[in-house]
Amino acid sequence: MRRPERMGGTEGRAGGARLLVVIPAHDEEESLPRTLAEVAERAPGVDVVVVDDGSRDRTAEVARRAGVPVLRHPFNLGVGGALQTGFRYALVHDYDVAVQLDADGQHDPSHLREVAAPVERGDADVAIGSRYLTPTGYRAPRARRLGMRLFSKLTSLLIGQPIADTTSGYRAYGRAVMDVCQHDLPQDFPDAPLLISLARRGFRLVEVPVHMRERHAGRSFYTLGRSLYYPYKNLLASLMAMLQRP
Amino acid sequence: MHFLSKTQAIFAFGAVAMVLVVLELVRRRRLSEEYSLLWVVSSLAMAVLGFSTPLLQGLTRGLGIRYESSTAFAFGVTFGIVMLLYMSIRLSRLGREHDAMAREIALLGNELERLRAASPAPRGNG
Repeated sequence: MRRPERMGGTEGRAGGARLLVVIPAHDEEESLPRTLAEVAERAPGVDVVVVDDGSRDRTAEVARRAGVPVLRHPFNLGVGGALQTGFRYALVHDYDVAVQLDADGQHDPSHLREVAAPVERGDADVAIGSRYLTPTGYRAPRARRLGMRLFSKLTSLLIGQPIADTTSGYRAYGRAVMDVCQHDLPQDFPDAPLLISLARRGFRLVEVPVHMRERHAGRSFYTLGRSLYYPYKNLLASLMAMLQRP
Repeated sequence: MHFLSKTQAIFAFGAVAMVLVVLELVRRRRLSEEYSLLWVVSSLAMAVLGFSTPLLQGLTRGLGIRYESSTAFAFGVTFGIVMLLYMSIRLSRLGREHDAMAREIALLGNELERLRAASPAPRGNG
């Protein structure tokens, strides 16, 4: 794909690194306008791209109306697939850091710079906005909490570094990580297996404490039907990530 | 030609018919050469086994199976499992390729939108 000329000169620049916010969105027409407005208000001057992951509602339209570029999947690929599209876009358009931000309003854009900072400085390749480093008031349902703790322990054990929040979707990725992940990334749940495989490849992970909120609208990605498949798939993929050649 | 049972005869002629059907499907381009290979090889193996009673008996005895028909059955089931596994592998790969295509479409769609916005000339001779 041809490289487009950069628009607006220093847009998206933060201390020398070009920063892109990638918002995967699936049927988020209700939450998205608020999330986009918040990003514009609390992290002004940052470039944003919305990956419309095969929505059946007006998600793409809502984003375009807000003046944000949209990458539209013809059908639903899952969060991982949306992230990959965002990475490809970031690489083609010469961004140095991509921050993944949920469309549903759980992630407060005020933390955007903090999450991106370690990657921008070059201290880490992936920065994870973590709910559990400090008491931030986030409470998940009991079963999910148990699962989260299990995968946190497993990941920490496998990579030899404590990771408190493996399921957080509030993350910053450096260019080298995006370069690897654009071709190879777990499609449906890019959680523990992704972190393990990145750590195995020698990328440096770091956690940044953030505050997470209730979603604005819509339903959680982790529905009941997925609650059985998720642990199986994640456990298998985590172990495979350890066995696969990095 | 000496068949041990009606089952063996059906099995032998069935295998030959299968080879012919597969080859005909390839000729009509309904089945690719790649996928036909497993079918042709296994059907041929079945046919050889079906028409050569000493071979079938020897194999049955060698594997410790009681009846010749069970040997034929075991071969059929084994082939089915191999074929299903192969299909799952192909399907996984097709899924990956299919998703990569969808991501590329998303990027191209965005590129097109950008180009259209940059050159607002009316389409056609208007």
